[in-house]
This record gives sequence, structure tokens and C-alpha cells, in this order.
Amino acid sequence: MIAEKGSQGTGNGDNWIRNVDWLEGGSVDWLQELSEERGNAGDRGLQLVRSPSGFISVGQQETDSALGHRADQNISPVGRPDVKMYQRLASCILQDQHLGSIQFLKQMAFQMKALSNGGDVVLRNVRSKTNWISSGTEWHLQARSAITKCNYKALKHLGTNLFSCSCSKRVLPSKRSTILPAQIIGNLVNSSLKSVPLLTIHKATSQCMREQLQLPGVGKFLRTHSLFNSCHLAQRVMSATPGNLILLTHRPFSKSSADKSLRGSAGRQQMTLRSKFLVTFLFGAVALGSWFYVHLEKKQQKKLRRQEQLKKLALGQGDFNLLDHTGRPRTKSDFFGQWVLLYFGFTHCPDICPDEMEKMSNAVHILDKDRTLPSVQPIFITVDPERDGVDEMGKYIKDFHTRMIGLTGTTEQISELGKAYRVYYSAGPKDEDNDYIVDHTIIIYLLNPDGLFIDYYNRSKSDQEIAESIRGHMKTYVQLFS
Amino acid sequence: MSSGSLGELSKMTAPTATERKVCWGARDKYWQCLDETNEDFSLCQKFRTLFEGSCPPQWIKYFDKRRDYLKYKAKMQSGGYQSQESTSKL
Repeated sequence: MIAEKGSQGTGNGDNWIRNVDWLEGGSVDWLQELSEERGNAGDRGLQLVRSPSGFISVGQQETDSALGHRADQNISPVGRPDVKMYQRLASCILQDQHLGSIQFLKQMAFQMKALSNGGDVVLRNVRSKTNWISSGTEWHLQARSAITKCNYKALKHLGTNLFSCSCSKRVLPSKRSTILPAQIIGNLVNSSLKSVPLLTIHKATSQCMREQLQLPGVGKFLRTHSLFNSCHLAQRVMSATPGNLILLTHRPFSKSSADKSLRGSAGRQQMTLRSKFLVTFLFGAVALGSWFYVHLEKKQQKKLRRQEQLKKLALGQGDFNLLDHTGRPRTKSDFFGQWVLLYFGFTHCPDICPDEMEKMSNAVHILDKDRTLPSVQPIFITVDPERDGVDEMGKYIKDFHTRMIGLTGTTEQISELGKAYRVYYSAGPKDEDNDYIVDHTIIIYLLNPDGLFIDYYNRSKSDQEIAESIRGHMKTYVQLFS
Repeated sequence: MSSGSLGELSKMTAPTATERKVCWGARDKYWQCLDETNEDFSLCQKFRTLFEGSCPPQWIKYFDKRRDYLKYKAKMQSGGYQSQESTSKL
């Protein structure tokens, strides 16, 4: 260890080196470097100070009025540590080097002050108030954080596996921290530390373990603080002996390989989880997408097949020449260029024909709302020509869509038409009023503008479904005859 | 509606939309009564009379047949016919 000129400590270099000569080499050089840096950087240099009580602090020489109230000639002034020093310190640790008695200070967050009166130590966070520890008190381990591989070696060497860290996101010094008296540390050095886990990573959300640690008081206690936020990325270990105050840290931004491996694994683990999620999600999306595509294809195929079948059926061949409800003669060609919905029924129908006519009208209404679509012509054709003449047709259809046309004709004409459209109809027995019900197929036919039959709708189809179907046909319609 | 008995040339005019609705309303009431009394015709005579007065006789016959059919269908669907149910379970 190097005693710094201008320090208030009375220790000399030899003493310090003795204190740390049980540490591995490398750290001494580092300390040397640090002190040299101080020399070069002037104000922002580092200062290693040792107080008579044995505490060593490192920091910039900076007046800190807040420190004043516990002024003691043995107090070493500490201030904001150099970031570089911090980094270097971290890298030093992670390269499996061990630090000597250096007091480590987190940038802007922490100040440690060693006092020599009665062994009390004041650890102060610049953001919070000073917390005092008195000796002889039981202390609880606030939390246990992971120990890195790097730290482990250091810990082993230093003889402690106890440390304090806060699992909260705030950098708050805990009032209760572990304290190790010198004797215990000494014992630990000699004993094996089987309980120290290797590369235990705690997630930030994991519960901090609480342990009650009872240590025989030795009159000298030190307080430890955690200086980092999350348990799994930063661990701080502090071990204190009357002669040494050691703080090891593990910073994620360090360049060392050990840190990389830890951070990498922690990061990798995080990444792996996230990337796992992403991969699973992508897989799911692809699977769903492909299923959906196949489903749509199947539907399309089914539709085409149906259309082919209906085309083959070629219903409604041949012309017709019927009278509409105004008495005007109508032929099939009159409706070329229009989409046509045909319904065969009769005016004396109890309930089915009114329902179907209503449905047909509604479907046409729905399609009417869409101005981009061509208008559909609903037609009602009677299968009861004996009773349903022009007047009867007129009376009947006025309850339905305004564009509805009713067609009627002679018995022969209707019979031919029925054959062409394969409409089954059969008049039932007449009662005493000569009333009868005509049994007939309940189907609404769709004809395209070429006059070709392309689809039909039975009782189970709702008006919405019919409208949708017609819309679909309209979209795919390709004009056959100009 | 006219109930003509002027021979084979008589043509009954079909019920208008309003008349249809009246008939359907009476039918619905009658059927509702039957549902509530579990096909007890004697308790629903009043509705039956109203029904018969609102609808052409052909329609009444038709609706009666329809009701029978609907009841039968309901029975089939609810497993009244045992073997059908067992095959449907397969």
C-alpha cells in the first residue's frame, strides 16, 4: 500500500504493505498506478489515506463541508471518486485480482468515511443521511446477492461470504447490514467456504433472503452498504477488519472476461428468454397464418366446385314469356344485364312464401345500401296460375320490395318454366271453399346478368347470408356475353 | 277474405298482409296456450276459436299439420326416439 503524501494518516508505506501482503500480487501495482494518477491529475487524483484506526480511504481530495461535523484529524477527506478508478477497480476484481485495503467509492453515490474514534465507522451516502452503527448490536443480513466467480475467489481469499445488497431499485443504504468482526473473518479465511455458491444469479425480482447474523461483539463494527441496484448484476462485498476495509464490486460495464462471461450469461439468459418468446411467437404466428391460408384456399375451392356443379345443372334454360303484375309481357331477355333473384310461390301461401319474400326483399335492401353494387331485381313467380292472375300478383307483391316484379301466365307457361327450373309444385286437395295449398320447393334462385343460374338459397339462409353471397358473386362475375 | 261458394269458378282472394298478420297472431296465441297447458285442448278453446276465425280453413289445416310436425321434430331432437340419439352419439 502506498501512503500518500499530504495525507493525514500517520501510517507509512511499510505498514500498509504488511497489511496487505497476504493478498495476491498485482493489486499493489494497481495501487501504485492509482496514486500516480493522482499525481498527474492534480485535483482529481486519488488519495490513499490511512487513518490510525486502520481504515483506508481513497478518494479525491475535495473539501466537503458536510464531512466537517465529525471532523477528526484522522479523517481522510473523501469525495467523488474517479470513474476511471472505479472501472479499474472493477476490472481489477474481475480479473481475479484482489484488492488491498482500498475503500471504494461509487461515483456520486457514496462516501465512506472512516473514523477512528472507538472504532465507529461512518458510512455516508451523499444522498442520504449518515447512518451510525454502534457496536454490540445484532445485525441482520438484508439480502444476499449472487456471488460471481470472480468475487468468489476474492471472497475466499478475504474470508467472507457475507455481504449486503439491496434488492430494491433504489440506492439506499440499509441500516442493517452485515458486520464481520475480525476474528470471524480470520476464521473464515482458514475454513473452506463450501457454502459460497458459484455463479448464482438472482433475478431482480427474487426475494431477498434474510438472515439473522449474530456475531460476538468485538467492539468494532463496520457497516456495509450496497451500492448497486439489482441483485444479480452487482454485488458488493465488504469485509472489514480493524485494519482493513475492503470493498469489492462487480460492475457490468467492466471489460474483463469474467465480467463478460457473467454478464454475458446473465444477459444471454435474459436474451435467451426473450428470444425464446420471440421464436415461439413467430412459430405460432407462422403456424396460424399457414393454417388460415389453407383454410381460405379450401373455402375457395369448395365455392368454385359448387359453382361448377350448378353451372352444369344449367337450370333455367330456354326463354319464358310471362305477364308481370302490371299486365306487361316479359321475357327472359328483359332481365339480361341485371342480377335476378327468383322465387316461386303463390299468393295463398300461409306463411312460407311471405317469409321468403320478406327475406328476399331484405337481402335486396341490404345490397341496395351499397351504391357500388349493381341493383338486384327480385321476381316472384306464381306456381298457382289458376288463382294468381295479374291483379292478384299486384296485390300480393306490393307488401314487399318496391322493385319486386310478379310474373304469372297460363298454366302451360308456368309448367314449362317450372320444368326448366326444376321447381316442384303440386296443388293440394281443394276444400269446400275451393281453397287449396300448393306444395312447392322453397328456393330462391340467383341469376347473373347473362341470365344464367349460378346459385340458390334455401330456407336456412338468412337475408344477410344471401346478400353476402350475391355480393361475392358480383365480385367474381366476368361478363360472358357483351 | 271472402268465402265464396259460387261453384268452381269462385276465386277466393288471398289474405292481405294485414290479414296474414292477424292470422299469425291468433295462431301464435293458440300455440302458446297449447305450450303452456301441455297440449290441453280443452283449456285453449277460446284461442282456437279466435284462430279459426282469423285464418282461412286451408291455413288452419296447414298450421295444425305444421304444429304436429314441429312437435315431432322437437321430440326427435330431444332424444324421444332412442335409437336415433344413440347413432347420433356415434
